[in-house]
Amino acid sequence: MILGETEARDLTKKVLALSKADSCIVTISGGEDRHIRFAQNMATTNGAPSDIGIGVESHFGKRSGSASTTDLSDDALASLVEASEATAKLAPENPEFMPPLGPQRYATGTAFSSATQATTSEMLANAIQPVLQQARDKNLQVSGFLDSGTSFSSFGTSQGLFVYDQETNVLHTVTARTPDGTGAGWAGTTHLDFSKMDVAGLGAVAMDKAVKSREPATLSPGKYTVILEPSAVSDLIGILVGEEFDQRSADEGRNFATKKGGGSRLGENIFGKNVTIYSDPNDTLAPGSIYSSDGLPAQKTMWIENGTLKNLQCGRYWAQKTGRQPVPSPTTLTMTGGTTSTEEMIKQTKRGLLITRFWYIREVDPQTVLLTGLTRDGVFLIDHGEIVKPVCNFRFNESPVAMLNKVVALGPSVRAYGEESIGIPIAVPTLLVDEFTLSSVSDAV
Amino acid sequence: MGGCACATLLPSTLFLGVRNAAAAVAEKLDLSAKLHLADVALGTAKAMGASYADFRLCRYQSEYVEVREHRLEESSTGLSAGFGVRVLLDGTWGYASSSLATEDEVKAAVNRAVDVAKASQRLQARKFVLEDLPSYQDEWTMPMKTDPFLVHSDEKIDRMLAINEAALKAGADYATISFAFVREEKFLASSTGSRITQTRVRTMPDSEVTVIDKTTGKFASRDTLAAPRGSGYDYILDYDFIGEAAKAAEQAREKLKAKPVAPDDYDLVLDPTNLWLTIHESVGHPTELDRALGWEANFAGTTFCTPDKLGKLRYGSHLMNIVADRSQEGGLSTVGYDDDGIRSIGAEFPIIKDGVFVNYQMAIGQAQLIGQKCSNGCAFAESWSAFPIQRMPNVSLQPNPKPCSLEDLFSDVKRGIYIVGNGSWSIDQQRHNFQFGGQLFYEIRNGKLGGMLRDVAYQGSTVEFWNSMDGIGDKSTYFLGGAPNCGKGQPEQSAPVSHGAVPARFRQVTVLNTERKDIG
Repeated sequence: MILGETEARDLTKKVLALSKADSCIVTISGGEDRHIRFAQNMATTNGAPSDIGIGVESHFGKRSGSASTTDLSDDALASLVEASEATAKLAPENPEFMPPLGPQRYATGTAFSSATQATTSEMLANAIQPVLQQARDKNLQVSGFLDSGTSFSSFGTSQGLFVYDQETNVLHTVTARTPDGTGAGWAGTTHLDFSKMDVAGLGAVAMDKAVKSREPATLSPGKYTVILEPSAVSDLIGILVGEEFDQRSADEGRNFATKKGGGSRLGENIFGKNVTIYSDPNDTLAPGSIYSSDGLPAQKTMWIENGTLKNLQCGRYWAQKTGRQPVPSPTTLTMTGGTTSTEEMIKQTKRGLLITRFWYIREVDPQTVLLTGLTRDGVFLIDHGEIVKPVCNFRFNESPVAMLNKVVALGPSVRAYGEESIGIPIAVPTLLVDEFTLSSVSDAV
Repeated sequence: MGGCACATLLPSTLFLGVRNAAAAVAEKLDLSAKLHLADVALGTAKAMGASYADFRLCRYQSEYVEVREHRLEESSTGLSAGFGVRVLLDGTWGYASSSLATEDEVKAAVNRAVDVAKASQRLQARKFVLEDLPSYQDEWTMPMKTDPFLVHSDEKIDRMLAINEAALKAGADYATISFAFVREEKFLASSTGSRITQTRVRTMPDSEVTVIDKTTGKFASRDTLAAPRGSGYDYILDYDFIGEAAKAAEQAREKLKAKPVAPDDYDLVLDPTNLWLTIHESVGHPTELDRALGWEANFAGTTFCTPDKLGKLRYGSHLMNIVADRSQEGGLSTVGYDDDGIRSIGAEFPIIKDGVFVNYQMAIGQAQLIGQKCSNGCAFAESWSAFPIQRMPNVSLQPNPKPCSLEDLFSDVKRGIYIVGNGSWSIDQQRHNFQFGGQLFYEIRNGKLGGMLRDVAYQGSTVEFWNSMDGIGDKSTYFLGGAPNCGKGQPEQSAPVSHGAVPARFRQVTVLNTERKDIG
């Protein structure tokens, strides 16, 4: 269910009026989606879900409690406020309690498309139909997911803050497999505007990769020069900045950015000079939510600038304690691109691998952000500037911290999607990287 | 197992306001109201041409409490209620959901589901066909002693603060603990006549203690070995969290000084606190029929376990017996009926029998595609807003019928490693190549347990790994592990699932050293 700004504001006021607490925060969010899922060249589990939820956080002095519900009836709202207050009263005082924020200044949101909101199931089916037809014509099996969704959220406080945001998101991913099971290809991305999503084009890329990756050769594991396509890059960058860039844990001594002897490595040149990563709610490629944790405005934030660690996420309490400004968690991520095309990267590679995407990435060692995962749906050997053959999949054991010191060339930044992505819009380039550690061979296709 | 709950009610002074939000909705929708909405949904679907339809009205009550060091980080409760309706229209599925359980909204949702199915029909090369489905009118409630939603949040907070205190006193620099509880209430009505009401509860503790060495900049953590369970608050009361917290702090400190492992092939003895997750990834997922049919090819993946291997593949050694059930006490997948309305209590089946792959896990509409008659009750939807898909029941390694202790497994190892608890985990999309870490690693030398090792991860290939198993513990060593958040499907759904295991010995498994010295 989608509430407009006025409806969300009125509902927030209604809940705040029920509150008997010293202070109170009201959050509302909801969404409507249309999706078609397909596999083996036919539609499988297709849906049109709708949801909505409201949360209340009540405070008595430094005691806090929260409650949420999907029921917006008057009785339920009264019970909701009562529940959060009862929980708060039973809570011990939190010495790190921070009072709710008052009014803030926010950017104007640019992550909404009315074309996407108007998408119907029929439009989704029409977009997919040529992909399935092409797969049948080529004797390939395609599977995929096309989802068009609209969501809203609001954040209000008893101190007078109210912010409302509305976003749209279209996700399309497609996998093509050869009937003999020896070839697989994938393509996928997100966009805020359904009319700009090239469903057929992505299908064609996946099918082309499936055909070209048939009967892969087995190669030894080891350190390879790799060309990582945007999906693979988005996974690694998203995990690094979204999950590991934390000021408090760095200051506490339990983070890759911890300085030996105490403190954090903010300001140090930890990464290669050609690496710049930032968040901007109004980014042209990957715009995102205009507000973040605690209702703080999402602002343009530089995380890594020309290789220097510029900012780590920092909550309001820790910022106050350490004399910093709060740095809210990112609502969008962009890695600045370069001008090298993928074809040029291939040409300048003496021996290396072109990698389509990654799968099942997990952290092995938080000290170094060592991650493990696997390549999937298209790995190709490059020899003396040319793709010469498809090769097997590999398990990697590599750290994005090390990887970002070995970037040789960057393509233009594009909107990207990876299965391990952290759920915010992200734009990254294709990267040419030296000495990427592939530790074992996988028989999976 | 089955029948009614026999919750131990705590003194009335423990009843809380936090129950009110949930109670308000429960009062609105009694059984007759649910039956009426079901009739509206199924009647509308039938009138619009659906050959099959089902209607699920669900309510999830939740509580989450987290304590960090000496203070409360979060105390929250939640209620999520709504319905989903699924229609099969001329062999094509359509699904819609809403949190507003009114007659008009139910009709509107059926219309949306039919609209989705009609739009998708143009994509169909063949029609979905369902087997003959049974009809049940039943009520099932998970037995438990103490309902966690009847326990004061301050009791929980005090308990958690005491646990953290024990860790900090024992030398931890940081300690975090959380308790999460979910009560899942589902009402399922189908066009075959089923009307099934079910209630179960999940209790999910988690904790981590961390120690820091500021001079070296190194740190180490140790997570709890307590698994999430389909249990009441009694599980929290019975587990020695305080003893474990103190031990965990000492072990984390020991980790900082432990000997780095030399990468090589080793004999491994995997504690069940580690092995349950290896079972989940390398046996549970590969034997899902939807993966074998290619329905998860775009996300969760396919499987090496193709239908031609059914009844033939020697998956593991003759000691390997893996059983799927929804009956096991404390199991996160334990439930009377699956979300397709197939009876699952008392419907256990082997997946691996004496080392041979003998059964897939199936949801409705799948069995006939491999020449079998009907589903074996493995469907689950994470919420009212999700489409039921094939998900794991409890999938467990059966104990050795002959007496065998952990020490017996060590006794025949000249050079090996004993691994306890879960660390990182990863496996490829066809479930061949895996890599697992752990919480604690110990040398085994000449049959005896030695000192602690660090930076250990083991890699293997599923069939080769399970065929290298030559020793397993008896029933006295059985442990029920599990995860509340197994991901699958698009949109991705999270499922709770348990895995029973005994300690087991595997020969000559590849072990890596995971330390990176070129960073930091």
